[in-house]
Amino acid sequence: MKIFKFSISAVITIALIYFLNNNWNFGSPIPALGKFLDPFHGVWQNAETKEKKTEKLKLDGLKAEVVIVYDSMMIPHIFAQNNEDLYFAQGYVTASQRLWQMEFQTHAAAGRVSEIIGAAALDFDRRQRRLGMVYAAEQALESAIENPEALAMVESYGKGVNQYIESLDYADLPLEYKLLNYKPEPWTNVKFGLLLKYMAKTLNIGDKDLEMTNALKLFGKDMVDLLWPDHEDIGDPIVDQAGKWKFKPITLDSLPLALPDELVNISPVEKPEKGVGSNNWAVSGMKTQTGSAILCNDPHLTLNLPSIWHIIHLQGPGVNVMGASLPGVPSVISGFNDSIAWGVTNAQRDLVDWYKIQFKDETRKEYLSDGQWKSSRKVIEEIKIKNGDSYFDTVTYTHHGPVLYDESFHGDAEKNHYAFRWIAHDRSEEVLTFYKLNRAKNHKDYLEALDHFVSPAQNFVFASVNGDIAMRVQGKFPVRRKEEGKYLLDGTKTSTEWHAFIPNDQNVMYKNPARGFVSSANQYPVDDTYPYFITSTSYEAYRNRRINHLLSEMSEITPRDMMEMQFDTYNLKAYEGLPVLLAMIDTTSLAPAQQAAFSILKQWNFENEINSLGASYFEAWWKSLFPLIWDEVKNSTVALDYPTDYTTIKLIKEKPDLSFFDIVGTPEKETAREVVQLAFAKGVEAIEEWKNTKHMEPRWADYKDTFIGHLLQGIPAFSHHVQHGGTGDAINASSRTHGPSWRMVVSLEKTKVKAWGVYPGGQSGNPGSPYYNNMLSLWSKGNYVPFQFETVPGKMKDVSSTLTLIPAQ
Amino acid sequence: MKFIIQLIFTIVICLLLELFFPWWTLAIGAFVVAFIFDNKGFPSFVIGFLAAALLWTGLAGYTTFITDGILTTRLNQLLPINSILITALVGGLTGGFGALTGSLFRKL
Repeated sequence: MKIFKFSISAVITIALIYFLNNNWNFGSPIPALGKFLDPFHGVWQNAETKEKKTEKLKLDGLKAEVVIVYDSMMIPHIFAQNNEDLYFAQGYVTASQRLWQMEFQTHAAAGRVSEIIGAAALDFDRRQRRLGMVYAAEQALESAIENPEALAMVESYGKGVNQYIESLDYADLPLEYKLLNYKPEPWTNVKFGLLLKYMAKTLNIGDKDLEMTNALKLFGKDMVDLLWPDHEDIGDPIVDQAGKWKFKPITLDSLPLALPDELVNISPVEKPEKGVGSNNWAVSGMKTQTGSAILCNDPHLTLNLPSIWHIIHLQGPGVNVMGASLPGVPSVISGFNDSIAWGVTNAQRDLVDWYKIQFKDETRKEYLSDGQWKSSRKVIEEIKIKNGDSYFDTVTYTHHGPVLYDESFHGDAEKNHYAFRWIAHDRSEEVLTFYKLNRAKNHKDYLEALDHFVSPAQNFVFASVNGDIAMRVQGKFPVRRKEEGKYLLDGTKTSTEWHAFIPNDQNVMYKNPARGFVSSANQYPVDDTYPYFITSTSYEAYRNRRINHLLSEMSEITPRDMMEMQFDTYNLKAYEGLPVLLAMIDTTSLAPAQQAAFSILKQWNFENEINSLGASYFEAWWKSLFPLIWDEVKNSTVALDYPTDYTTIKLIKEKPDLSFFDIVGTPEKETAREVVQLAFAKGVEAIEEWKNTKHMEPRWADYKDTFIGHLLQGIPAFSHHVQHGGTGDAINASSRTHGPSWRMVVSLEKTKVKAWGVYPGGQSGNPGSPYYNNMLSLWSKGNYVPFQFETVPGKMKDVSSTLTLIPAQ
Repeated sequence: MKFIIQLIFTIVICLLLELFFPWWTLAIGAFVVAFIFDNKGFPSFVIGFLAAALLWTGLAGYTTFITDGILTTRLNQLLPINSILITALVGGLTGGFGALTGSLFRKL
């Protein structure tokens, strides 16, 4: 009996420990509760204070002493005596603040999320593998290896990250590792490439070739040109210097335009997110109060915690640079040094083409190209799955690029194989661009740095202490014949492949224009006299005009004016569209709620401010209207793309009898007027319903409900809802989950460069730290952190911690 | 009195073990102390439970206090019940069963 009791108790104890030492999933995931909650090593150890620390650490791999001073925002200011130590320290401190995020994002880029969270991510991972993300990152590393400066930078950064990882025991691990019960792996050099290519995927992989192919078959060429024009005849191009393109452009042999005539039966897995875009501008000294140029940048991305950006100040021989860095990539990406400042917005260009491949047989070993059978290359991808067996996917590479869609992945027919050509698969030296930009002294250095930049194509704004301002649309752009690249291409012919690229010095750029400012906001890049054909998924239609309108009217500009402008919530789309819509409403037969909505809209000042009611009614109306008009797209059995908001409003105004205004599901024949009226009723109904569930007035900030989600599926405990104005079409382009991920204003004064910046998050990636979200409320109120930009550690004020790294030997 | 002494002993031994070893050494500490004190099964379980729960709650509570509860607030949202309570429960069960097993082992 005694032995029986003892055995039972012993078994329960061991089973309990086993249970509490492992992760489980009973419908919802449960962490390893014992390990996780143990206050000596588990999650409680991740609780941090604002306690001021002065630390000295001996580390392997350093050449000399490095001093790191953290200011009151926990921004590291690194003072190093040579380049290797500088990037070593950047790797070390970035890892100490953002290790989990750096690794998670590189795992995501490489299609390795299933390893961490299980089979739910398999489709995502397969897509990443089939997109050739690792292949692309390896190309970036290959290029870096050939350049001693780039290689030293990447290697030193990696060493710093690894020194930090090696110093950790379980208690020190970032919280997310404990929650998911796994460990960081050693950092490798290819990971910087993975991060850059992940950005390339976010920004430059947008295309609609397959959707347009379907549209062409379903609606015909005339309708396609009307609904999806190459160039909406609106807006100020980024560079407008008609007649001044003096170079001799590269031309291709002319070919008769061959348009596809087929339906593509694939289900594209994800669409480029609406709201990914950016603003940048620079004003010359003739328009500012100090007489010095001012440069501004606010890239719009998905807003997450930890934030995509990490502010850092790097100081070493020949370099003194500060700004936003990407955790995982050495150097500063959008920032300033003591001579210049630069910033980026996404360049809208079609940098993806699709080729229909004809394989010889089902082995897919050979495919037809100009009458010959070419050999394909197969890569077997092992996707490890947490608590499961590995999944093996075979990816077939043609000379165009990998076959993304086939019968095993989002396709439906055995014979339809689609390979894609993507610029990010090419060799590239972006990391060298940033190395050089960080050290650039003038406009010439900036141009030279950009020559190394291939993808993701960006509009680089520039300003210098010398007083120059400039803009350059930089990337590697294929030379295209008119209409080429808009639709699916025939993979059996080489004639429509990318044969030549626009030489760097023929890219769209200019310096010191007469109007006294340069700007970009993802609009059409250039005036009509530029001698190359340009196409893209879409161009921004509103923000760019608002920016140029404001800048052209301003004078005696101060940095404060620029901050207010970045926070501008004027909705030009509503200003142009709302009167058109309101004029179509029959006001004689409105229900009381509709009557109230109508007068709120009528009185609205087109500002998407926190307290605005009109903004919410307009949004609700538009959200009802858009899918009603484009029900043909929404309900299509094959993939189609939506026309832009701008084109939609234009058609409502100019072609109210267009067949697309008819709602297919109803027997009546609707025109724009009926659809607009119906959408109005539905929009008001949606708002009334919202009011009834929330028990409050639909203030714009509440209705929009800006959400900054934690990278891990937006876990509510680590995410935040923010009261914030703005909308995708305003300069403050904040939608629910997207928006200004970084705001920067730099005044390039001769006596001293002054700069301000903010992002919706905090320097620490640890949800248990007071620095996890301490910039969030500054950001949401339009406030900025004035940056300390000192040349010696001793001049720093409000120091929160100091870390001295000492060589171990 | 024996109860209190055994309780304090368990807390001290578990604390020392946890400073150097993983969390589950709680069970070993409770086991050893219960074995030495040769108490009955039920009181041993209660002492083991209380000792581990007090130790864990103490440190979790202290951590909350010195960090203004930033993390605690988030954990309360993450976990289905109060984070300090669940910490006490998980630690307590581990210590309790460890102690029970120790006391039953002594009786063999």
